[in-house]
Amino acid sequence: MVPLQYYLLLSAALFCVGVFGVLARRNALVFLMSVELMLNAANVVFVAASAQYGEVDGQVFSLFVMALAAAEVAVGIGVVLALYRNFKDVDVTKATTMRW
Amino acid sequence: MAGALTLAPAIALLPFVAFLVALLGGRYAENALPRGGALYGIAATAGSLLLSAWVFLAVSVGTTTTEHVWTWVAGAGLPFDLSFGVLVDPLSALMVVIVSGVSLLVHVFSLGYMNAEGETGLPRYYAGLGLFTASMLAFALSSNLFEAFVFFELVGFCSWWLIGFWFREPGPASAAKKAFLVTRFGDYFLLVGVVGVLGTFGSAAFAGSEAFPTLAAAALEPGGEAVRTFGFDAGTWFTILALLILGGVVGKSAQFPLQTWLPDAMEGPTPVSALIHAATMVAAGVYLVARIYGFYALSPTALTVVALLGGFTALFAATMALVKREIKQVLAYSTISQYGYIMLGLGSGGYVAGVFHLLTHATFKALLFLGAGAVIVAMHHDEDMWKMGGLKSRMPTVYWAFLAGSLALAGIVPFAGFWSKDAVLYHALTVGLGGQPLVLLAYAFGLVAVFFTAFYTFRMVFLTFHGEPRSETAREATAADANMRYPVAVLGVLATVVGIANVDTLRGIVGDRVLFLERWLNGSLPAVAGGTAEHYHELVVDVAGFHQAAVSPLLAAGVTLVVALLGLGLAWTWYNVPEPTERTDALGPAKTVLYNNYYQDEFQTWLADGVARPFGRAVDVFDASVVDGVVDGVSTGSLAASKRLRRVQTGVVTTYASQLVTGLVVLLLVVLLWRWF
Repeated sequence: MVPLQYYLLLSAALFCVGVFGVLARRNALVFLMSVELMLNAANVVFVAASAQYGEVDGQVFSLFVMALAAAEVAVGIGVVLALYRNFKDVDVTKATTMRW
Repeated sequence: MAGALTLAPAIALLPFVAFLVALLGGRYAENALPRGGALYGIAATAGSLLLSAWVFLAVSVGTTTTEHVWTWVAGAGLPFDLSFGVLVDPLSALMVVIVSGVSLLVHVFSLGYMNAEGETGLPRYYAGLGLFTASMLAFALSSNLFEAFVFFELVGFCSWWLIGFWFREPGPASAAKKAFLVTRFGDYFLLVGVVGVLGTFGSAAFAGSEAFPTLAAAALEPGGEAVRTFGFDAGTWFTILALLILGGVVGKSAQFPLQTWLPDAMEGPTPVSALIHAATMVAAGVYLVARIYGFYALSPTALTVVALLGGFTALFAATMALVKREIKQVLAYSTISQYGYIMLGLGSGGYVAGVFHLLTHATFKALLFLGAGAVIVAMHHDEDMWKMGGLKSRMPTVYWAFLAGSLALAGIVPFAGFWSKDAVLYHALTVGLGGQPLVLLAYAFGLVAVFFTAFYTFRMVFLTFHGEPRSETAREATAADANMRYPVAVLGVLATVVGIANVDTLRGIVGDRVLFLERWLNGSLPAVAGGTAEHYHELVVDVAGFHQAAVSPLLAAGVTLVVALLGLGLAWTWYNVPEPTERTDALGPAKTVLYNNYYQDEFQTWLADGVARPFGRAVDVFDASVVDGVVDGVSTGSLAASKRLRRVQTGVVTTYASQLVTGLVVLLLVVLLWRWF
């Protein structure tokens, strides 16, 4: 059995990739994907911990996270669409009208 | 006779209705007010007088009551309640008779003084008189200190209203303001005193089982029920409360140093001066002392202060009256001086003597003012005595009545003022000799003032009525209207005979049965326990420790009378000549000082202009720079800071994300480091 630490490291790596994507990329769609990555990093931990301790709670939670992710994408796509309609672009750094 | 007492509130309500009628009628239906509302006022005060007389009779057969009428503030969580009630006992019954009687005569007199002279705005005048009479009667009938305070303020307000009747002229307008402000100044102390009494005893009732003088007396007895005294010794605290209440008394009764408003108040119509500034409103102050005499009697310090203040004021005001030119000014200063005597009487333990002088003074001073009013009308509103003279033959009724009043004021036997003033001085003398040197000093002041009183009174009489007329108006003066003559004549008779109410001086000779006033004030029932003159006397002797030395009343009276006759004689030789001259010029610069009232007005103006105003300005500067500076600094600082801080709101979502992440990382680090170390 693969020790838990490896899963945690994998999860942390995935999460950091997601964070990097959010911070460094400009495309709103890539934003959504990066958020997906972070959610899945969490899922990895849930599942790994569930397997480690022999409880099903973690697996149940990962199902919730997937449902949440689906809902998030539904809203997120809507936001991206609105962004595109208003600014003719999906570059998040262009949408700076709500500033000081 | 108990039925009379249930009608007692109506005594105050009748003039109040007259006030409403005159006020609303004057505004909306002038035609419905014959004679400017005077008739309604006369009817209402006559009704009050009849009711008062009925109540007086009811009390004389031994019925007294203290009754609750209306609760203003009360609650389960409150240590006290504020309520209005009616207290009918010998003292208040006597007072309502005096007030409604004088008020009725003044209303009648006003027909001649105001209506016949073609004044405008009469509904306003009669509304003021009505409201004043109503509040004064309600004050006299008050059953607790709080209620008394409310009506005390109302009479002050009416005083402002009526002094400023001719408000289009600068003099009356400013005098009205001054009267209001100066008396208000005293009333602040009274207000604090009322709050203190409520906080200490949880009750401000004058009579009954919860009466605060009774509670105070119980608290002073060894083992008595303790009251909240705010860290003071009970005796000290009661003295403080008594002196606070005295503040209001000093303001209203025009005692030193708050007497400056009264002479200025003479700017008002003369009937108003007679009603308010001689017989009733200024009596409110000393009446309050008499009302809670059981409280003052507990504190020798408070009593001594009252006596000394009274004696000093009596002398101080009398010296200023010596040199005045206007007839009403002389009367104003004599009023201050006579209220000084009443205070002296009360302060030296002579409760009956003080109330007696209150009664006689109300009679003869109302008379003198109304007589002066008749003279002023005859002189076409010229008040300078040096332009009068020889009016004796032209207005004989007024002259004889005025003479009776003057003899009473000067204290010449057998006129009213002699008996009462002598009783006051006798009390001060005996208590003073009984081991109270300060009271003896007050007596000395009072005795010297007797000389001055007789002198200035007869200077006034001789200058006004005797000798040759000194001006065209005086030569052509005609007798007063019947409306003015009759009130003056009635009061003239009263001023002559009212002294028999209490011939204290002849105590040993005629027996106690004829001391009507003393027996009257003793005649209380258990309902108002602790309110009798006898009980007050016991308190003064036992608690305050004022003992009377044995002095022959006749000897003391003889001294007073000789002093008064000396003053009269001096005035006679100087002024009862065909062509009097200003003999007081011999006083030199002192005369100027006296004529200018010891420069007290200037001093008070300086206090306002030279002290209060710079102080206020300094406070204003402090407020504008320091207080406002702090407030403005805070707002300027946060504005400037936020101007910079808002730059973080770039609108770029990436920035926000990075801020979030940074924050999260920092938080994580902090928590981890916290855990590890």
